[in-house]
Amino acid sequence: MNPLAGRGPYLRGAIIAVAVAVLVSCPMWGGDGVRTTLIVFAYYAALAQMWNLLAGYAGLVTFGHQLFIGLGGYTLAVGAERLGFGVWPSFAAAAVVCGALAVPVGALTFRLRGGYFAVGSWLVAEVFRLAFSSSSYLGNANGMFIRPARSVDPWLVYYIAIGVFIAIVGLVVAMLRSRAGLALMAIRDAEDAAAGLGVHVWRLKLIAFVIAAAGTGLVGALLAVYTPFVQPDAAFSIKWSAEASFMAVVGGIGTVEGPILGTAIYVVLQNELGGRGEIHLIVLGAVSIIVMLLAPGGIAGTLRDRLGWTLFPLGRRPPPRAG
Amino acid sequence: MQLLETLINGSLIGGLYGLIGLGLSINFGTMRVVHLAHGDLIVLASYLFVVALVPAGVPPLVAGLIVVPVMFAAGWLIQRVLVGPSLGRGILPPLIVTFGLSMVLQNLLLLVATADPRTLHSSLASAGVHLGSITISTVRLLDAAAGLACLALLLLLLGRTALGRALRATSDDLDTARLMGIDPRRMYGAAAGIAAATGGVAGMLFAATFTVSPSRGSELLLVAFEVVVVGGLGSLTGTFLGGMLLAIAQLLGAQLFGPNNALLTAHVVVLLVLVFRPQGLMPRTAP
Repeated sequence: MNPLAGRGPYLRGAIIAVAVAVLVSCPMWGGDGVRTTLIVFAYYAALAQMWNLLAGYAGLVTFGHQLFIGLGGYTLAVGAERLGFGVWPSFAAAAVVCGALAVPVGALTFRLRGGYFAVGSWLVAEVFRLAFSSSSYLGNANGMFIRPARSVDPWLVYYIAIGVFIAIVGLVVAMLRSRAGLALMAIRDAEDAAAGLGVHVWRLKLIAFVIAAAGTGLVGALLAVYTPFVQPDAAFSIKWSAEASFMAVVGGIGTVEGPILGTAIYVVLQNELGGRGEIHLIVLGAVSIIVMLLAPGGIAGTLRDRLGWTLFPLGRRPPPRAG
Repeated sequence: MQLLETLINGSLIGGLYGLIGLGLSINFGTMRVVHLAHGDLIVLASYLFVVALVPAGVPPLVAGLIVVPVMFAAGWLIQRVLVGPSLGRGILPPLIVTFGLSMVLQNLLLLVATADPRTLHSSLASAGVHLGSITISTVRLLDAAAGLACLALLLLLLGRTALGRALRATSDDLDTARLMGIDPRRMYGAAAGIAAATGGVAGMLFAATFTVSPSRGSELLLVAFEVVVVGGLGSLTGTFLGGMLLAIAQLLGAQLFGPNNALLTAHVVVLLVLVFRPQGLMPRTAP
């Protein structure tokens, strides 16, 4: 009946092992072009995964996630360029700064619910964009070059990017398979009912928000190492949230493999449409609408419904009844 | 004296900002959807007005009579085809659909009409009324008058007509309203149409008062959000108080910290309101 029945664990292990082996061995078979594509893929996939943790699991749909891309990038820039802490200590600091700042930002924006939270977090990102644009220490609207990052070996950037991507997927899977993950999904599906069953809704949402902020901060810092340049309009652009939501929705929101599939599609699409920014964004918007209306589960959700199979199983079955 | 002028100008522009927030509030009040393309619909109306109609020789007043019904139809159509089918499955689908629509509208405008800033070129834009040493521009008086007129019309519609009662019933208790023979889809279509029509008026006034470019759609969405949050969610009258506070904050911010920091000052004031008075200035349930 189901061609995949019973072969789940082996097939999953094999797919994941091959994928990791392909990524790790890239220097042996890939050139500069492949490396560039895979770095772009890795940071977008990490970003989409973090956005999906919020929108797909914690019920926090946000269009302000560019806040943490920008803040991560600027933490790296200030640490490496202005303070001379070195590239990699500043890189680690980006996660800490973003995670710490997520606490007051979350405490404030969680006062708004649903769609108003989505716009409220966007407003906070705008505040940072405008404030950083008028700070001469940060280079005003022109931003700043990160000279220490110029000498970093591109293959090291590649391994850090792949490492961040794999670590974020692993962290999300581990979190969702834990008790906290079950509680998060309960919040997403019925917030009041979850609260009634004793779930600490506010605290769990904040934990998810802090994790997503720290992970996205690493993506922003990675981008700053790779470019190596930060500029407020680009770093705090709404484009990041638009892309993250596109990748999560098209791939399949509320699944772990969905954002990865969505990112693969996005990277191909970006290469095809590269030239004109407007057409690129029109396509992103239109495809998001069509998927949301016609196949709201995205690719991964549709595959799960058809095949009854997922790469990262997170569903739970109720315990068998006694007697 | 300068402070008085700022307060007067801020209050007048506040009428326009309140009008910008009105549409967001109507959509949310009836169907609990934050319409993320509202700012871009306003910009679309601006472009219909100052790029398509007025340069073609249509008098501004006649152009207004064309733009408002066209925007009503656009709002109704978007609701029936895109937003309506996304309802009933949680908060995510309508947000993704309206955000996607915002990206499509904004970038279509960029493709068709370029990023050049536009404004209404007419004698109205430079006319002013002198009060002692203070000059008040006629356009800003019109902003406040039109904003308050739209608010009054809307309150009359909601409070005194059969359509208004049906809209309020749909908002308060969907299931009971349905039992009374109200078709929610028609109500949602009407509400979205009315919201877009107020956006049409706002778009024309905005193009007459300031300059407009496609990317300002996002800025206008944030303005709408801010006046709604400051005014108190669900309070249509509060929206206008929120608009005044926002406009005054922008003007004072420009005077105190330079024109580049006008927006930042207003944003920070809104966040402070959210910290200290999260229920807004005039907390109330839907009118």
